[in-house]
Amino acid sequence: MKHIKTLETRNLCESAKNGGCGECQTSCQSACKTSCGIANQKCESKKESK
Amino acid sequence: MIHRYKLGGLFIVLDVYSGSVHVVDEVAYEIIGLYEDHSREEIVSQIMAQFGSREDVTLAEVEECIDQVGELKEMGKLFAPDTFKPMAGELKQRTSGVVKALCLHVAHTCNLNCSYCFASQGKYHGDRAVMSFEVGKQALDFLIEHSGSRRNLEVDFFGGEPLMNFDVVKQLVAYARSREKECNKNFRFTLTTNGMLIDDDVIDFANRECSNVVLSLDGRKEIHDRFRVDYAGRGSWEQIVPKFQKLVEARGGKEYYMRGTFTHANPDFLKDIEVMLDLGFDQLSMEPVVCAPGDPSELTQEDLPIVMEQYEKLAELMLKRHKEGRPFTFYHYMIDLTGGPCIYKRISGCGSGTEYMAVTPWGDLYPCHQFVGEEKFRLGDVWQGVTNPDIQDEFAKCNVYAHPECGDCWAKLYCSGGCAANAYHSTGSVTGVYKYGCELFRKRMECAIMLEAAKLAEDE
Repeated sequence: MKHIKTLETRNLCESAKNGGCGECQTSCQSACKTSCGIANQKCESKKESK
Repeated sequence: MIHRYKLGGLFIVLDVYSGSVHVVDEVAYEIIGLYEDHSREEIVSQIMAQFGSREDVTLAEVEECIDQVGELKEMGKLFAPDTFKPMAGELKQRTSGVVKALCLHVAHTCNLNCSYCFASQGKYHGDRAVMSFEVGKQALDFLIEHSGSRRNLEVDFFGGEPLMNFDVVKQLVAYARSREKECNKNFRFTLTTNGMLIDDDVIDFANRECSNVVLSLDGRKEIHDRFRVDYAGRGSWEQIVPKFQKLVEARGGKEYYMRGTFTHANPDFLKDIEVMLDLGFDQLSMEPVVCAPGDPSELTQEDLPIVMEQYEKLAELMLKRHKEGRPFTFYHYMIDLTGGPCIYKRISGCGSGTEYMAVTPWGDLYPCHQFVGEEKFRLGDVWQGVTNPDIQDEFAKCNVYAHPECGDCWAKLYCSGGCAANAYHSTGSVTGVYKYGCELFRKRMECAIMLEAAKLAEDE
């Protein structure tokens, strides 16, 4: 029996090597303007295997 | 660090530093909770005492589950250590001196007189003013000049009400477009409007030039018209809704947000979201009010459990509509587990004061729109650039690890330390935290991740 189902997620440790291109949207820029978070930002880099 | 929670009938375990998300059964949920502080024998003993009467929970099953937890730990997907803290400053330094987004305050004036406006009816506690083309052009030149190798540049037309200075907005977009090719830049324009001045010309412009438009609507007519009134005190709902509907229909699926604010008057904001849906809108955002302490619209401690429940019910509604083939999006529940932000972004946050700045009608630079009017945060201007490096340095160092209170928070790599303006206004420091906002944020993340897990299960 499988007790744990692990969803596919981005490997954060891996992203430390190649991340930080800075091309993604500034978090607050065009939607919330008052309650910033970064979880809903999309990565714009195509270079890294996620 | 892990975070375990139960929501929507699911048992969910988040592993903070690997970013892993596990959907588990009740036995695994309890085993993971015991794993780091108990011996194998203790775990077996406690789990069998708790679940041994269940037919499906055998000793062999429990042993197997403990092995699975151990395997995930070995793989770095459970109890992963924090390897990011030492590199936090360095990661944020990677963008030092680069500016990639501007919030252009093209109008410090407004045709509505909303009492809850954080910008004091568009004036930001100062004089009414509109930005000239010359100031805006200089701001765009400043952005291009300081954007380094960044290709995607963002410019939000903001106010006050930016459409009160629409001619300048159009001229600035034309100017930016004229420089895109020679500078190898891609401008993304956004417009945040109360809708009062939307006409066919605005619709054509917004849908042609703006990658996103943010349309302010608070939902129910009586809720919207309570705060969003003109200077004669008349509500704006009747005027703006048909304009928004026309704009969105003409937009042809291009991105927009119907953005509402909820206050002490409507902590039951799901009703407002339902009204937005009934009006035909399906890209929604509903934000907690930002206002001075003691303002009548301020959310109270008594509102908090209501708001929390609303977030859960919202997730339930989204799942129901997803199953029915009538999905809608909610800004704070948009989470891309596989294609989300890298660790750099998760540590660095919104970029206010460094890669993101606000520009006043007079060309002054501030760390973001919410600091405009706070003189001590004035960074410089669009002609001379940053002339107050001490303030910029404060923001450059403001990464998630600079907030002492975020240290043991499981959500820190989802919020990145939160909004510097909210922190400053509630604690007097940009490295403080706005605790009320933290509670709402954590609930939103729990709901967003649960929703993703439930949708994946449903789609399978």
